[in-house]
Amino acid sequence: MKKKIISFPHMGNYYIPIKYLLTKLTNCDIMLSPPITKKTLELGSKYSPDFVCIPFKYNLGNYIESLENGANILMQCGGGCRYGYYAEVQQQILKGLGYNFEFYSLTENDKLAAISMYRMFKKINKKLSIVKFLYYTILTLKMISYMDKIDIYIRANIGFEEEEKSFENLLKEMHKDLESTKGFIHLRKTYIKYNKLFRKIKLNKPSNCLKIGIIGELYTCMEPFSNYFLEKNLAKMNVEISRRTNVTYLVIKKRFNTKKILRECGNYCKYTIGADGTDNVSEARMLAKKGYDGLIHTKPFGCTPEIGAMSILQKVSKKEKIPILYFTFDSHTSEEGIKTRLEAFYDMIKMRRENNE
Amino acid sequence: MNNKNTTIGIPKALLYYKYNDLWESFFNELGINVLYSPETNNEILERGKSLSIDESCLALKIFMGHVDYLVNKVDYILIPRIECLKKHEKLCTNFYALYDIVNNIFNTKILNYNIDVKKGKTEKKAFIQIGKSLNKSHVEILTAYNIAKNVFKESKKQRYFDQLNLLNTSTKNKILIVSHPYNTYDKLIGEPIIKLLKKQNTDIIYCDVFDEEEIKNKHTHISDKVYWTYSKELLGGLVNYYKHIDGIILLTVFPCGPDSLTNEMCMSKINLPIINIIIDELSGEAGLQTRIESFIDIVNEKKKVKNN
Amino acid sequence: MNNSYVGIDVGSISTKGVILDNNNKILASVYLWTEGNPISAVKKIIKSLELQIKGKNIVIKGIGVTGSARKLIGTILGANIVKNEITAHAVGTISIHPDVKTILEIGGQDSKIIIIEDGIVVDYAMNTLCAAGTGAFLSSQAKRLGVDVKEFGNIALESKKPTKIAARCTVFAESDLVHKAQIGYKKEDIIAGLCNAVVNNYLNNVAKEKKIKAPIVFQGGVSKNEGVVKAFEKELNEKVYVDECGHLTGAIGIAILSKKENSNIEFNLNIENIKFENKGVECKKCPNNCDIICIYKDNTLIDSWGNKCEKGDSIQPANVNQV
Repeated sequence: MKKKIISFPHMGNYYIPIKYLLTKLTNCDIMLSPPITKKTLELGSKYSPDFVCIPFKYNLGNYIESLENGANILMQCGGGCRYGYYAEVQQQILKGLGYNFEFYSLTENDKLAAISMYRMFKKINKKLSIVKFLYYTILTLKMISYMDKIDIYIRANIGFEEEEKSFENLLKEMHKDLESTKGFIHLRKTYIKYNKLFRKIKLNKPSNCLKIGIIGELYTCMEPFSNYFLEKNLAKMNVEISRRTNVTYLVIKKRFNTKKILRECGNYCKYTIGADGTDNVSEARMLAKKGYDGLIHTKPFGCTPEIGAMSILQKVSKKEKIPILYFTFDSHTSEEGIKTRLEAFYDMIKMRRENNE
Repeated sequence: MNNKNTTIGIPKALLYYKYNDLWESFFNELGINVLYSPETNNEILERGKSLSIDESCLALKIFMGHVDYLVNKVDYILIPRIECLKKHEKLCTNFYALYDIVNNIFNTKILNYNIDVKKGKTEKKAFIQIGKSLNKSHVEILTAYNIAKNVFKESKKQRYFDQLNLLNTSTKNKILIVSHPYNTYDKLIGEPIIKLLKKQNTDIIYCDVFDEEEIKNKHTHISDKVYWTYSKELLGGLVNYYKHIDGIILLTVFPCGPDSLTNEMCMSKINLPIINIIIDELSGEAGLQTRIESFIDIVNEKKKVKNN
Repeated sequence: MNNSYVGIDVGSISTKGVILDNNNKILASVYLWTEGNPISAVKKIIKSLELQIKGKNIVIKGIGVTGSARKLIGTILGANIVKNEITAHAVGTISIHPDVKTILEIGGQDSKIIIIEDGIVVDYAMNTLCAAGTGAFLSSQAKRLGVDVKEFGNIALESKKPTKIAARCTVFAESDLVHKAQIGYKKEDIIAGLCNAVVNNYLNNVAKEKKIKAPIVFQGGVSKNEGVVKAFEKELNEKVYVDECGHLTGAIGIAILSKKENSNIEFNLNIENIKFENKGVECKKCPNNCDIICIYKDNTLIDSWGNKCEKGDSIQPANVNQV
């Protein structure tokens, strides 16, 4: 029988925990899709429906590149909006292109549930026990939550490092260590070690630095290639960055805080407005109250829930007096245009700040 | 509140085309005046466009134009908020956000109801909610709701019956329109296409006219995993009529999220003449006529081949 | 000796240059086509500026560059400030109209709106979707109708009943236009319709949700089109100002910004005989195929950019000759 090789689409650095989980739960080879490049997007766009949103195109590009490299099992784990329906359509398109593969989706009816996940892994690895499944799933979630915690610190401070690349290099070391995680205690030790090391990195940070919050659709927030390395560019401008959207938030925190989030929206939302729209309205209002200088909202072209959120965010921006820069990404977004807007946004919030002081 | 003078405004857009029979008889039974916005016209479209985010779906932009028409003409504007109609199903998020979008853009009183079946908020409860906010008694509301529900069912049944009749008797080309009712029956979106089709000597079959029991699970022939209630209905309807029609028009407004994916599934699984017409904010009909005519030519050719 | 400041605005279609004195008064100015070659355009600009200030007792204390080729030209001129055109335009306009509240701009490729309160930018937006409704769009439609785009404004003013044109997307607009022309609409009505469409498109897209308050200044190439100006005034119900030197505001703004840098260096404008070359190198180390731009001054590499990842680091700048 042919060796089973699993692959999955990229999103930021999350390939590390996903690869870890798949290694532990299946007896297949795990193949990382090649890093996203322009070619990935070109491939994805070429075979995607016309006005489907851009995460679909990136995912499809990842799949094609993996299949070309020999993968024969593909996974999808998106959900929350039309993302949850990607799997079937992508499968259909790839079959149409003549590839031979199995396709598994971690979500069912647009929801991520432990039991359906277990059933799915059981299909790939018949010997998998529920205990082992739960152990490694929870361990992986813990790993993700540590990674996200570190990322929050990095985002707030990377713009002020004294020595260039000190954050980037240390993060790479941490990722390497995480790959060889042995269990909960070992994982925690790794976290504590790196948490200390990150905090030791020398900073040159003024107490009144400019602060920018990033909100918006999850994929364009979290996959740097898809937002033209927005956070890296902001860091170069010496800005403190904050972003609530991460996997820990979407998979765990959000579930238990629906009511609180809706409350945080104040009068702007009576109901949840779909996908992560409500979360972004609440985050915008909260960051405005915390005195942030500006917000950047990212979304794929045609993202229904975020377009809905935008009509509300425009009012938040006006009433709470916080400027919001809206970015829409699709396969022919001009990078130069993004940079110009970003620079102008920075100039604007800087002038506003100077004027208020 | 004095009900005699209360007028509810209903925007003639989006869910109006699905639920108006229900709404109309419900308010009628309760003795409440209803004012409808007119059929979509250019002014409504332009107002809607200027009030909406540029990338919004055209149907939502049109809806905004209708709301704008009603503001200051009525006491309340009816804006339903629907998240979930059946377990394990969803609607497009525009229907989740409709109330809050309108509430943030307009300064007007809204008569609002909320349906979210997975959280126990059923349609019945939703109607009690609006009845209560109109100061009606529980008994009055339930009586009105039950009557309205019956009228709604009957009218659906009648439309389905008529359509079956047409299918059985028609000798012309039968073209199935697969589209959300708010597109199909809109004066600016669907009507020009239907007119052009009729000129081509065809009979039109509407995908959104169906018997719920009959189409149950039929969507799986095209898509197994789709979870949007309205998309499921359309795909189910498509499968249901599939054997009795000569061609299919997928009519989509730009940039509809669910349609962007389900259209792909339809195009790859259907073996009948099929075109996908995407309507943006076109003011002209340039090109449309050519597309429809050539489509009907294809339908005729295929028929000839089949009959030989 | 009088201190003065040079501002250069290098756009995709035209390049503009000014020299300002300490009081922001224009001492010299020049405007010419970029013709796809920003370096030679800037050389010509500098030469012309120099001629205009010849014999006056002037030292250059700052050079600022803005516009789409700002980075390239900034490197070549050794500018002390390189900034995006949105900020430069705002600063330039405020220096001419201190009380301006709204700047509308429609240029060759893009359009923007800038909202100003008390002399600072508080909000802005740029076109997001495509080039529909920009100068390039108008020129291509003019060609289609067989009219010189410079005549557009005057022809539009003759129309009594502008035709409705769908201008949300260039492709749709073209087919609509052809259709309307074929079914016999008058040329002036179609052209006036196009001007209205440009304005409506702008207001519904770029300027959406922005509070447009007077005084309003309209800039960019399209502002020379009387038809569009009239359409704006009708839609906004306000006077719309178009400056004679509106095309220079970006350059003026960046010159002012370079003054604010308070640099103590004296700049030398003598670049005419220096050979500048920019070479695009395609990095083949991953499928991104980054275009790395390397700038040479008399055959020595002085700067390079365009690289996305570490893989290309070795290509720039020192090892470039080996590629």
